[in-house]
Amino acid sequence: MTGMLSAANEAAALDRLHELNCTDGLPVVVPTEARVARMALASGLDRDLALGEMGPGKGIATVEKVAVAAVMAGCLPDYMPLVVAAVKAVLDPRFDLTEMQATTHCTAPLILVNGPARHDIGPIACGFGALGPGHRANASIGRALRLAMINIGGGRPGESDMALLGHPGKFTYCLGEDEEASPLPPLHVDLGFAPEDSTVTVIGAEAPHSVLFGGDGDDPESAERLLECLAIGLANIVTNNAVLTGGAALVLLNPEHAAVLADAGLDRRRIAERLHGLCAHSPEALARYAAAFAPRRTQSVGHPRSCFADPEDILIAVAGGTGLYSMAVPTWCGGPHRNRAITVPVETGQHCEVPSTGHAEVNL
Amino acid sequence: MRDGIAIARLGIPAVALVTDKFWPQGDFVANSLGMPDAPRVRLPHPVAGTGEANLERIADAIAPAIVEALVH
Repeated sequence: MTGMLSAANEAAALDRLHELNCTDGLPVVVPTEARVARMALASGLDRDLALGEMGPGKGIATVEKVAVAAVMAGCLPDYMPLVVAAVKAVLDPRFDLTEMQATTHCTAPLILVNGPARHDIGPIACGFGALGPGHRANASIGRALRLAMINIGGGRPGESDMALLGHPGKFTYCLGEDEEASPLPPLHVDLGFAPEDSTVTVIGAEAPHSVLFGGDGDDPESAERLLECLAIGLANIVTNNAVLTGGAALVLLNPEHAAVLADAGLDRRRIAERLHGLCAHSPEALARYAAAFAPRRTQSVGHPRSCFADPEDILIAVAGGTGLYSMAVPTWCGGPHRNRAITVPVETGQHCEVPSTGHAEVNL
Repeated sequence: MRDGIAIARLGIPAVALVTDKFWPQGDFVANSLGMPDAPRVRLPHPVAGTGEANLERIADAIAPAIVEALVH
């Protein structure tokens, strides 16, 4: 059972949570016992079930504690399966969460949702402004993960979260793939899941970098030029991806850009292979711009070095409104496992209907 | 800090070198790993990228403190 605080009323409770550095700086929903109980119930899991140990503070992420974070973030109980899946994903040792929370880099976990859960839970916005404000599920699910990382993992700025600046995605960073508007198979299907499965993919990401590209239907090189533009955004020479190499990254294609590539006969694998080839820098350039990391560079002189070990490390998803802009999302790619992108299934079968809200629960 | 504690747990004497700006994080990690008194020596910040001559000055200045931490 999580320890209980007491307060005279909601406003005093909120002030106390701010004083204890339990918030992200914005107001939270006060996690009363009744609210947390409803949230935990909605997961369909035992509230004492331990999902894992969360660094760097080594807190045990029980379902109950995750429910506390979800309540505080403003989640509806229906969102719990996605919050639980996101927490499970960052607890995968290959995600290197302990190191990621502590790094001076700005990284934040981006949550990408695939499958029917995008509609059944939320809904999760996948189109216009999917990474922006106005979408309750996107906003609160991403925020719940951050609050779990603060209160269970102990990641607090300047003490244990040493990001020099951070970025706004550290408040919340969640969207769905627009599978219906995509000419490509859904990402989770290309990763081996069934179309009827739902998944959460997390990746330790920088803020998204806008990539401007205007297609030209009369230009047979349009797809190649788009790929070149994406590569510039994805692995410019001052990113960790370019300098440290060996990590993952994400490309969010808007549907129009995805169509340019698909019309040229490119599937996800071929897009990633071409980007893998384009995202490379010469040893000479790296020596000039990243000299402090020279000992990490062991490749032969003169041959461009790819920023990625394998094309599969470049995740490609379709999202956003349709138009001129896609997003390149470089990553931190530090840690012993290079901060792998992790995909986990969403266990919607465990989901439990919860009773409607009663007036009694607002009493503290 | 984490490395210093991991090495100490292997039975090898270790002292963590922590710069001034990261001293609170060193305390946090030492506490969370259950070794709040893990030996550490405070360095000025920054150290990395400040040039070889400065690194040598810092090394000369802190060497006695490192020895002191290791033998006590």
